[in-house]
Amino acid sequence: MQDLAEAVPTSEDLAAEFAPIVGARHCITEPSELRTYECDGLTGVRVRPLAVVLPASTAEVAATVKAARRRSLAIVARGSGTGLSGGALPVARGIVVGLARMNRILGVDFENQRARIQPGVINLDVSRAIAGNGYYYAPDPSSQSICSIGGNVAENSGGAHCLKYGFTVNHVVAATVVLADGEIVELGGEHADALGYDLMSVLVGSEGMLGIVTEAVVRILRTPELTRTFFATFPSTDEAGTCVSSIVAHGIVPAAVEMMDALAIEAIVKATGVDWPLDVGAALLMDVDGPRAEVEHTAAAAVEIATSCGALEVRVPKDDAERALMWKGRKGAFAAMGRISPNYYVQDGVIPRSEISRVLREIAELAGREGLRVANVFHAGDGNLHPLVLYDARVPGEARRAEEVSGEILRICIRYGGSITGEHGVGADKAVYMGELFGDRDLETMHWVRCAFDPTRSLNPGKVFPTPRLCGDVPGPYVAHPSERSGLAGRG
Amino acid sequence: MSAVSFDAGESVAPADLEEAAEALREAASRHRTVSFLGGGTELGLGYPPQRVDVLVRTAGLTRIVEYAPADMTVTVEAGLTLAALQERLEPQGQRLALDPPLATAATLGGLLATNAFGPRRARFGSLRDLIVGVSLIRADGARVRGGGKVVKNVAGFDLPKLMVGALGTLGMIATATFRLHPLPAAVRLLRVADCEAARVRALCRASVAAQLEPAALLALRAGGHYSLHVLFEGFEAGVAEQAARFARLAEASGAAAEPLEGAATLAALDREARVHGSVRLRLAAPPSALETLDRAALLPLEAAFGEARAVLYPSLGVAFMGGFPADPAAAVAAIGQARAALESVGGHLVVTEAAGDVAQGVDPFGTLPGSFALMAQLKARFDPERRLNRGRFLGNL
Repeated sequence: MQDLAEAVPTSEDLAAEFAPIVGARHCITEPSELRTYECDGLTGVRVRPLAVVLPASTAEVAATVKAARRRSLAIVARGSGTGLSGGALPVARGIVVGLARMNRILGVDFENQRARIQPGVINLDVSRAIAGNGYYYAPDPSSQSICSIGGNVAENSGGAHCLKYGFTVNHVVAATVVLADGEIVELGGEHADALGYDLMSVLVGSEGMLGIVTEAVVRILRTPELTRTFFATFPSTDEAGTCVSSIVAHGIVPAAVEMMDALAIEAIVKATGVDWPLDVGAALLMDVDGPRAEVEHTAAAAVEIATSCGALEVRVPKDDAERALMWKGRKGAFAAMGRISPNYYVQDGVIPRSEISRVLREIAELAGREGLRVANVFHAGDGNLHPLVLYDARVPGEARRAEEVSGEILRICIRYGGSITGEHGVGADKAVYMGELFGDRDLETMHWVRCAFDPTRSLNPGKVFPTPRLCGDVPGPYVAHPSERSGLAGRG
Repeated sequence: MSAVSFDAGESVAPADLEEAAEALREAASRHRTVSFLGGGTELGLGYPPQRVDVLVRTAGLTRIVEYAPADMTVTVEAGLTLAALQERLEPQGQRLALDPPLATAATLGGLLATNAFGPRRARFGSLRDLIVGVSLIRADGARVRGGGKVVKNVAGFDLPKLMVGALGTLGMIATATFRLHPLPAAVRLLRVADCEAARVRALCRASVAAQLEPAALLALRAGGHYSLHVLFEGFEAGVAEQAARFARLAEASGAAAEPLEGAATLAALDREARVHGSVRLRLAAPPSALETLDRAALLPLEAAFGEARAVLYPSLGVAFMGGFPADPAAAVAAIGQARAALESVGGHLVVTEAAGDVAQGVDPFGTLPGSFALMAQLKARFDPERRLNRGRFLGNL
């Protein structure tokens, strides 16, 4: 085995290594073409990889990983590149393994409610493929029309409807995975619980640091018989927050409860043309779903609760088209910010649901002190905030202040007993905050998981962990792979 | 209750988590092996520990660390029993949506370590779907945590779920945080008596097709047939309508669904079948292979076991069987055949309790998964001296 830890391979070397595996067309080394892959949804940070390799099968992924390992190159897996935390940010001395070509649904088993899919399949395409049979795939990140299942698995993506239905981790039951040494392993159990440690659950949300998923088996659900949606406006986020708590306290588990504040409503109205009122302090968009009589009851009860909590107006869509328009407004909220601000930071923090009103006030005060505006559009049912810190990059110092406010919001979430990310992941963006959320020993314990899977730390180095850690040798009979000693330097 | 017990050199019952951490630090410094004991309801699961120098009993760790009804989360110490927790949640109209048998004895730590579940798993998932945070005492005595106390959180690797089903071999569960669900305002329980396996499967499929959402489906085996129990939970209008529609589905298939009184009935039926026998098994197969589970596993096992009882969760493809085999050799042979049949359709058979010649004759788990090498690596990182529940886990880890 060659140890080339010091030498940076040339484009010709890289093409010679990877083109035979995936074909010349699917091995990118031209600097101009590499630019597309310099960042994911976190566009402010860019790193050009040495090469981008686009395999079409599990075997090609495994061969690519083995070849990268021979040259001691770091490996960053990438789906659609929509992640907002820089989870797919390339590493300078590494390659990107893009999984977009692996975009087939391999099989659907309706009776057992399972589908086997490749990682490049677009989230929404899973539901589209099975909708005719009355089934769907539940996790629905707002980017679901473009994000991939592989990326969802890496980030444990959520979405509006995870309040009732859970996150990606609750819906992925098994996977074919290429490990850091190029070995192919099956994790989880397609039907029954897998025997042994629950490696499947820990792989989901591991941000590409434990393995590359090349096939995933997901649960598919029967479409609910009835979905009732309503949209309610309130004088302020206080009444809207109280309404959410009250609905939940009445024993209702909504499928989704989304909150938007005045600034978010303004942006959404300008961008999408929905006819939402602009003279309100907050709005809730809520779904309840399930068997017909149950839903009729809970929807009526929820509307009554909203009214008693001080709702200014409650609207019920008259048909599916109007309902779809309401949700389109909500799901397009981030993109809509461009209508009210030249630039914005998207934040993703979590707090206990009961603290929503207090935390929103603290965030507003914080932003006010810095002369900035914050729009809020978020998953109120599970306390997952998405404050959008608005700024103008042309004004000197404003970008920096916005970044500081954005970071300070995470500290508020930590102070209230919450988390620094509910669904966007830690990635490159928030690694620095992990040391504020967790203690050193906590992170060391998580790092052990990484070392068990990838002792050379070749997969997505520099993400999640705030400081570099080595893996060290495993004592006892479990001998490390010889190439471990040619491991990569770098953070993480 | 389990008939199994561990012989330990020394037994300690820490009064709080710091004392528990001290016990593990002490054991670490003297290279002593450690096992854990909660309610002792599942001691038969896995291989017997190869050596137990210190037995840490969690009976003193019963605090509710934090209960936030408005957030529907609760953090508890590992030694608290499930029944004690539910009693505390009930006045707020909430529950942990987990219904294994023996809730009065079983502790949350033990339930997590064994990944225990009951028939409501069909609706609410297993503990991996309910746990949101964990704090551990590691093999070296360090106290660490993963996850958090909010229900939505993707910061860091998922240590809470990794502890579920790990049989205490990666660390001692000190506290755990769970998401809670509302107690239902109304329930309906229906029974369809005397079904063949094919009808049980057909009614499950029909129920899904009709977009019904039962909280639990449970089929009790008796005389080669099943009585299928269906539980609906929710608001009165919803459960009444769902029960009526299920009754029509049953009627359309040529059977009759009769109403039974209360959810307690279901729990009692489940317990009677699951907490039974000197040999107990958990069997799994895809729900579509219910007839295989019935004919190639439960039927021959029933013949080899004396006084066999079995219960099936048909929508999950899981069954539990227990009995008193008079001829251990015949029982061992039947278990082997049933396991082969289940593994061939992607299922498994786990011996959750056995004694004497049966325990000697069968492996508790069956074929090792292809990811076993990774599991061994994980164990080596978390517990390099193999001091925690030595040898008890899959592959004698």
